[in-house]
Amino acid sequence: MTEKYSGILIFAEQKDKTIHKVVFELLSEGRKLAEQLGVGVYCALLGPGGIDAKELIYRGADAVYYVEDDEIFNMPDELAYSENLVNLIKTIKPEICLIGATSLGRSIAPRVAAALETGLTADCTDLRIDDDGKLIQIRPAFSENILAHIVSDKMPQMATVRYKEFQESKPDFNRTGEIVSFNSIRPMDRTFEFIKELSRKETDISDSDVVVSVGAGIKNSEDIKMIYELAGLLKGTVGASRAVVENGFISREHQIGYSGNRVKPKLYFACAISGAAQHIAGMKDADTIIAINTDPSAPIFNIADYGIVGDIYEIVPMLIKRLKEINQN
Amino acid sequence: MNIEVINKMKEIAGEDWVLSDLSQMAGYLYDETEPTIRPKANEDCIVVKPQNALEISEIIKYANEKSISVVPRGGGTGLSGAAIPLTPSIIISLERLNNTIEIDEENLMVTVDCGVTLAALIEKIDKHESLFLPVHSGDDGAQIGGLVVENAGGVRAVKHGIVRNHVKGLEVVLPTGEIVQMGGKLLKNNMGYDLMHLMIGSEGTLGIVTKVIFKLYSKMSNTMTLIASFDNNKDAASVVPRILQQGITPLAAEYLDKINIEKISEHTGLKWPLQDGNAFLIFILDGESEDELFGKSERIAEACESYNALECVIAESSKEQRAILEFRSKVYPAFCDELVETLDIAVAPSLIPDIIDDLTEIAKKYNTITPICGHVGDGNIHNMILRVNGEKPPYFEEIKLEMLQTAMKYGGTVTAEHGTGKIKKKYMGLQYSDREIEIMKGIKRVFDPHNILCPGNIFDN
Amino acid sequence: MRVIVLVKQVPDMERVKFDTEKGVIDRKSAGTEINPFDLNALETALQIGEKTNSEIIVLSMGPHSAEQSIRDAIARGAHKGILLNDKKFGGSDVKATSVTICAGIKKIGNFDLIIAGMQSVDGDTGQVGAEIAQILKIPHISFVEKLNEFDCNSLTVTSNIWEGIYLKKVKLPALITVTKDINIPRLPSFKNKMLARKAEVTVWGYDDLEEHLEESQLGFKGSPTKVKKIVIPKTAHREGKMWREDYSHAVDNLIEVFKCRKILEV
Repeated sequence: MTEKYSGILIFAEQKDKTIHKVVFELLSEGRKLAEQLGVGVYCALLGPGGIDAKELIYRGADAVYYVEDDEIFNMPDELAYSENLVNLIKTIKPEICLIGATSLGRSIAPRVAAALETGLTADCTDLRIDDDGKLIQIRPAFSENILAHIVSDKMPQMATVRYKEFQESKPDFNRTGEIVSFNSIRPMDRTFEFIKELSRKETDISDSDVVVSVGAGIKNSEDIKMIYELAGLLKGTVGASRAVVENGFISREHQIGYSGNRVKPKLYFACAISGAAQHIAGMKDADTIIAINTDPSAPIFNIADYGIVGDIYEIVPMLIKRLKEINQN
Repeated sequence: MNIEVINKMKEIAGEDWVLSDLSQMAGYLYDETEPTIRPKANEDCIVVKPQNALEISEIIKYANEKSISVVPRGGGTGLSGAAIPLTPSIIISLERLNNTIEIDEENLMVTVDCGVTLAALIEKIDKHESLFLPVHSGDDGAQIGGLVVENAGGVRAVKHGIVRNHVKGLEVVLPTGEIVQMGGKLLKNNMGYDLMHLMIGSEGTLGIVTKVIFKLYSKMSNTMTLIASFDNNKDAASVVPRILQQGITPLAAEYLDKINIEKISEHTGLKWPLQDGNAFLIFILDGESEDELFGKSERIAEACESYNALECVIAESSKEQRAILEFRSKVYPAFCDELVETLDIAVAPSLIPDIIDDLTEIAKKYNTITPICGHVGDGNIHNMILRVNGEKPPYFEEIKLEMLQTAMKYGGTVTAEHGTGKIKKKYMGLQYSDREIEIMKGIKRVFDPHNILCPGNIFDN
Repeated sequence: MRVIVLVKQVPDMERVKFDTEKGVIDRKSAGTEINPFDLNALETALQIGEKTNSEIIVLSMGPHSAEQSIRDAIARGAHKGILLNDKKFGGSDVKATSVTICAGIKKIGNFDLIIAGMQSVDGDTGQVGAEIAQILKIPHISFVEKLNEFDCNSLTVTSNIWEGIYLKKVKLPALITVTKDINIPRLPSFKNKMLARKAEVTVWGYDDLEEHLEESQLGFKGSPTKVKKIVIPKTAHREGKMWREDYSHAVDNLIEVFKCRKILEV
């Protein structure tokens, strides 16, 4: 059975003709796996016409199967996406199929796996190849308390893979590969009467990846602008300690702590926050904590990964300047 | 603060553990007493963060020598202004005394440093299959030392009592600098006067508690939370004594009126499980088995029904039970922008319906309302005096006095759990005779001859 | 209308203990409860049921103890509960679970709407709902966070997907999975709780489902994915690096941290 199936297929999710960054991460990881197996890496690009499919080649694909349809791929229509992906997989017969664990990916993948009667592992954070050339799919479970190593004995071996777990592959403009056009199929029965986009998702402080928070060390509401600027450069949202909210410098929705929001971002940046237990209750589960405070004995430093003993009025502007320089390059 | 004191503090605690710049000290000058009624802090202070009782002892000896006030500080969650310095002071922040939590499974006791937060202690105890400490102060950040010197109450005190009931031993730095042990892992101790119990609830005036031994309880495997709604506030208030009289002792029995519910929902976006009703009761029960709990719950539900309860719902999962307790805990943040003061009256539990009636009437007389919530199982209620147009109303002192006098009429107390501190000391005379107050002042003088520790707490000196 | 709610009994995640040394999960240390997202699904069904006079059936697959979760759902307002339970169902992965539950749904028959939670808190996969939809050949909508309109023929909902908020209208029969934002589940009244403690739960085993199911599709045998090993990760400790002067050097270090944590794109 295994001989019939070969290669790694990556679902190249796009929206408005822009390819999702998780695809570039899957390409870098997919290449590593492909090299171990000695097989090719392919992308399944389902979208309207006019997408720059060559970028996928530059970033590591050996071939891109471009299913072009200006109508059905403009909306998150699970039936349209899954039926076309199933059709493509049946034709290409990859041994491994990777889909980014985005909301769309997590909604389509199970339909695809069920249609192919194969297994599916959700939300992997790591992938390996074992001695028999099988894919080991590693995923957290039980609220991230355990890591399960899973293998699948059916083909293709399918997994959704968590975003921001791997490095993106860098484009290599000398890479070559084939772009194969593929006809779309339209779901026969249009069971969805309509799908309309209401709004883009706004990041709420509690599911923001980066929170830059400001504490009692800020002198007036005007100075919070620099915190917003820093948060903007880090694509994050602004939080505050209770004191700042009580001083009326910022509205209550920004308050982090026991009596405010509890957040669990990838990065929590505490500016001039001393770290009263009240505040710490709201942010101690952040992946990485950075703190700046003039008081070397501030309790925030006890839980920080990186601490700078100093004045935010000196350090934050330095940081903003550096970040801007990086952005310009 | 003069440079000599700063240098001495740095010498004792180390360069990094002393704050003398006002911008750094700002977070150490106030507690959570409502801004409308708290006294202004004296800013001529210095914050020092010693790491053990010995350093505290040295600081105190120096303060005695120089006659400088000392104000110890825990989590800063107090509501009576006890941690606010009124005179130029050395503020001793106890946050670094947080290393030890020793659980003694053989004797069912835990020894804990004063700077450990209640949340950290409970988390540690929770890891043990069978142990339990029935304290829930409502604020994760409260520190153990503060809980003891304030003799905290909270929502879980119906069954096992307030903090005083759990303390078996203390390590204390006296206002004269000596480090002494009071009590110990002893369940009985009748030797001489009981200084330990004098220390509990002394609001920082008699010594600095640096270590505490608590008694632990065995954890019941099951808990359940019931909520009942009532049209009539007095009906709701009357149920609880009836249930206690039947020999059912819940961990907690809480009362919340509709204004509280609406305000918390509006402020937090959390949803209260019951729609209708003007007053609500929350019962938290624990027990060995589910059947036992359902049995007790049935009797509670029957009692509620006999007092015209509208509805009674039950929560079993930890998440749903916690959501209810969390909703209850948001009373203070929900009202904090509209509050002048939350009173802390207690009377005998059976008198709760009467005092709720009286307080509501008094509020009416002043053309205002007084939202009420409370630990009714303990006879303790928190009724609020609200701002008018964002300001403290002109009748504030008058209405407050009237409410406190009502508590006195029922043989009650001005403060059940928040403490006298700085904001209730003027009412000492309401509750105590001159002679009693004289004795208390005498005790303070014996402990603290130079009056350096927390001057201005409980009474003026 | 007939609405089927899929529920799973899960351990109380706050009380589950993990033995980091032995790499073992001690499920017994925790009580069990209905998967919290499934309570949102049930609440959604109850709200639809109240307006359309629908029959709400709760369907679960699991050990006998899962009857308790079904009784809890009945206490909260479900009309009927069915548990799929058989030794042969043991060790099922997503695929085998979906196939088995589908057999149960087919046996119930005549359904208009199936509602599931977006994922379970113990497995976290969030795949069973959409797989069932595929097997039943009906459309599904994932991550529903608002119920906009409904009648006996169609459903209009707000779904949080594809980095946007989408309004979707779908013809019934269909399946939806709901997020925790869709509603706040009601608590059971004490009276209903006491009644439900004695409620009858229908239990179907392999024999009952035989016409919709082949033995080779079941349990461990019917599961293409196998767990090879479980690793309990050590809790990460904080790095605790401090800078006291030379801020320019500190800022350089922070930039590196941003890059390596993928906060900054490079």
